Amino acid sequence: MTNHWIDMKHADVVMICGSNAVENHPIAAHWIMKAKENGAIVVSCDPRYTRTSAFSDHYCKMRSGTDIAFVNGMINYALQNDRIQLEYVRHYTNATFLLNPEYGFADGLFSGYDQATRSYDRSKWAYALDPSGVPKRDLTMRHPRSVLQLMKAFYARYDIDTVCNITGTPKDVYRKACDVYTSTWAPDRVGCWLYAMGTTQHSHGTQNIRSYAILQLLLGNMGMAGGGVNAMRGESNVQGSTDMGLLYHSLPGYLGEPVAAMQTLSTYLERLTPTSNDPLSANWWQNYPKYITSLLKAFWGTHATKDNDFAYSYLPKTVGNHSYVALVEAMHAGAIKGLFCFGMNPAVGGPNSTRAREALGKLEWMVAIDLFETDSSVFWKRPGTDPSTIATEVFLLPAAASVEKEGSISNSGRWCQWRYKAVEPPGDARSDAWIITQLVAGLRKAYDAGGAFPEPIRQLTWDYGQDADAHGEPDPHRVAREINGYFTEDKDIAGKLWKAGDQAPGFAALQADGSTACGSWIYCGSYPGPNKADNRLARREKSDPAKDPLGMHPNWSWCWPVNRRILYNRASVDAHGQPWDPKRAVIRWNADAKKWEGDVPDGPWPPGEKLPFIMRPEGVACLFAVALVDGPFPEHYEPVESPIRNPMSAVQYSPVCKVWDLKSIGEPGEFPIVATTYRVSEHWQAGAMTRNMPWLVELVPDVFVELSPNLARSKGIRTGDWVRVWTKRGELKARALVTNRFEPLFVAGRAVDQIGIPWHWGYAGIAKGDSANLLTANIGDPNTFIPEYKAFLCDLAKA
Amino acid sequence: MKTKALLIDLPRCTGCRGCQVACKQEYKRQAEKTTFFGGPGYQNPADLSAETWCLVTYNEVLVNGRHDWVFGKRQCMHCEVPGCASACPVKALEKLDSGPVIYHREKCIGCRYCMLACPFVVPRFEYETWNPYITKCTMCAHRQVAGGIPACAKACPTGAITFGDREVLIREAEHRIAGNPGGYVHHIYGMEEAGGTCVLHISSVPFEELGYVMRVPRSPMVAHTEPAMKAVPMVMLGLATVLGASYALRTRKQRDNQPAESGHIS
Repeated sequence: MTNHWIDMKHADVVMICGSNAVENHPIAAHWIMKAKENGAIVVSCDPRYTRTSAFSDHYCKMRSGTDIAFVNGMINYALQNDRIQLEYVRHYTNATFLLNPEYGFADGLFSGYDQATRSYDRSKWAYALDPSGVPKRDLTMRHPRSVLQLMKAFYARYDIDTVCNITGTPKDVYRKACDVYTSTWAPDRVGCWLYAMGTTQHSHGTQNIRSYAILQLLLGNMGMAGGGVNAMRGESNVQGSTDMGLLYHSLPGYLGEPVAAMQTLSTYLERLTPTSNDPLSANWWQNYPKYITSLLKAFWGTHATKDNDFAYSYLPKTVGNHSYVALVEAMHAGAIKGLFCFGMNPAVGGPNSTRAREALGKLEWMVAIDLFETDSSVFWKRPGTDPSTIATEVFLLPAAASVEKEGSISNSGRWCQWRYKAVEPPGDARSDAWIITQLVAGLRKAYDAGGAFPEPIRQLTWDYGQDADAHGEPDPHRVAREINGYFTEDKDIAGKLWKAGDQAPGFAALQADGSTACGSWIYCGSYPGPNKADNRLARREKSDPAKDPLGMHPNWSWCWPVNRRILYNRASVDAHGQPWDPKRAVIRWNADAKKWEGDVPDGPWPPGEKLPFIMRPEGVACLFAVALVDGPFPEHYEPVESPIRNPMSAVQYSPVCKVWDLKSIGEPGEFPIVATTYRVSEHWQAGAMTRNMPWLVELVPDVFVELSPNLARSKGIRTGDWVRVWTKRGELKARALVTNRFEPLFVAGRAVDQIGIPWHWGYAGIAKGDSANLLTANIGDPNTFIPEYKAFLCDLAKA
Repeated sequence: MKTKALLIDLPRCTGCRGCQVACKQEYKRQAEKTTFFGGPGYQNPADLSAETWCLVTYNEVLVNGRHDWVFGKRQCMHCEVPGCASACPVKALEKLDSGPVIYHREKCIGCRYCMLACPFVVPRFEYETWNPYITKCTMCAHRQVAGGIPACAKACPTGAITFGDREVLIREAEHRIAGNPGGYVHHIYGMEEAGGTCVLHISSVPFEELGYVMRVPRSPMVAHTEPAMKAVPMVMLGLATVLGASYALRTRKQRDNQPAESGHIS
């Protein structure tokens, strides 16, 4: 989230699109309700009428997988009706930038496309530069090659008729949504955009989010209290997991993945450190060398020296795609021998779960670490399987739950909060940190006896006090202090001497010469001293409304980066540092005192000295962006499985998305119904926790499929009947819930039926049933490879 | 002492059922064995029961020609003059000055007159157990004594359940209705029903569309139950003899099996 859950209360309009926030983030409703109390209008866009829709003032139905058309139409509405915050757009976005002549767009393809590799040469999407290497700008934004003019031409194709023909939204309903949301273009009106997996889990999921960002920038809603693009994380600590580099493509602090072409630290830095010739650009990522060097020092301590490139060679260099589906496919092909599943249940949670279950059977060994016996840990005795045919050796390690161990958790709003241990874990259950520590010790012992390339393991710094603890439990405070970072040698910074062993005060003090170590640079400053009292994550100070009128709670826990509660907050003020919206001022420049007041600003410079979007080399936000591999503007493509031809162009689905097996894709003739998957309030993810909890099982015991009365009538199905649903990948049995909350959509000149199925079920636990992921496909967004769970084709019949 | 009450503001309810689970957790009631759904929408179980004292209902209703999904809440209404208490021959049900109608299981003779007397069909009998009692919501009287608020109100994320002084909550309900006349029907359910209750509901749609009991007298139930009770003194005497014996047997059994749980209801 750029903002925070609490901040939703400041919004004038709350757009819930690609999320069922009220059902799946019930506490979000607490803050959205406060916004409603203040007169906010809540809009819900969803293929079905959800508990979120019931909570909202305005509901837009839409076909699953058509978010880009939906939002591009809103962008077009804003551009056509002059509903953009012009000064914000002029000074804080690249709308004024001129593009080089090679950029173009025709019939669904941007320039630079190569059919053979299904990829773009993104160098074609560049700015026109002046002789000093700074992008050319036209502050009037009238130049035909300016980003704004090219946008106007691009988005003009998304008029209301065209959009509604794709999405199936009634035109008057859609026009009202456009009108309500774009009303936040006014500097003193703010719109907040909430999204979750309904946005991301598409073959164009990243572009869905881009479309939100573009609209929010045009309306001047980024950096504002009550604004932002807010990804509501599904797991309580999933923000922490990405902050700490648990995804395959990043290192802690969102540092890039070293790939095979980056064999030395200098090539790594050359590729990843952005440069800017614009003196107004802070270009904060120019500090890349400091952050990666400090990370390497945290990993390998005294073994990381200037002479050995700070042990950069110890980091694995990846070749190819190591995303979730790619791993499952590699397992299936026998290329992976062993698997650790920490709180992960691929037999239920991943797409095409039949294939995932088969893949687990190709492993030599598998370790499941969880609170309960999960579907994945008993995959070898799943229904219809003969255990004697499966050779995988499976270990189940009982894990301590979050309340049974001390540590931290980072929520969607980037607040990292310390948790004490409430109770002892039962039986032999252990913390994840203990399990990993034992694993490291075992690996070290094995490498002491020999093996190829032992140094990365043998020389790993692992000094978390585990040897001093009676149970070998590592001290979470030591881990937190390493994540914050410390000096490895005496260092003079601007006249202040820091001693070796001192905790680093903040990331501005991190060094590229090996004199600092830091586990995740964005957390630097969270634990700036040696004592438990220095742990800012544990702060629990109540806020004084007189000093903190927006209720940002600066002394409650700690927020990365540098306790900044609203990201991009320099964009919430004008060139003189005065807030666009004085009644909800995030920051304000006090010209007399010559200092910023309010939230921690994006950099200390006085107003006007630096451009506001400091993480971009341009210094401004990108309406036109080269960062994504599938296009500088979001273009509507159909989901890979779609009932219609793409009305926008000859390109049917994302020209660069990853489809692992074209034979597993169904055609609309055979599979005429659009299906989507989702969750319910009462169950949690793959269900290991909730399907073992009788009180929750009582509420939602069985997998069910929701369908409209029309479709039910035509198939002879009544509520409560068992039905079969099938796709090209597999089939499931579920109970039918016939409801007016699902309606057929009028799309491309005809009625299209949609159904929906929650995916929480499996064959373990006390509530058993088929997972909706038996139906979903191995298709990945080209940027993140997140699977397309949310839109596919199926058929159904009474069982 | 000021009478406490709960205000159930249904338009604020998101149907998350945090209240329903919080209630089960507070009273350690068993999960019921359900299949699919027990009522419209996601409703489960089908009805209030000996194990389920708080139940969220899901109602698909037409509002201005548009399908809407509106949630209701079922629980004990905690009448100002409760029919159940007046029908009870042994004072096992007691109306507290603070609002809750509580149950003294050690006094109960199992006659189930309370069930017949309740216009909202709330008290339930533990038919499944060998030694059954009446069960129902207690408005968390024990939590109130300890300075807390009812578990359902505590769990509610959106303020759909508010706990407070009845008079204040009635004014609050009137204020909310007046402030948003298009958003509420002009009816505080429980202000007059059964002579007034300590659970008040306000809604965006007429209460009958949510399945609320509408044929409830405006006067206290005691006016209807007491004459009936007076008419059968001899029956009562006989019953008292029989049930009193059963009571003696049961309390002896209870003394043998477990220590009395003073202060804890159910």
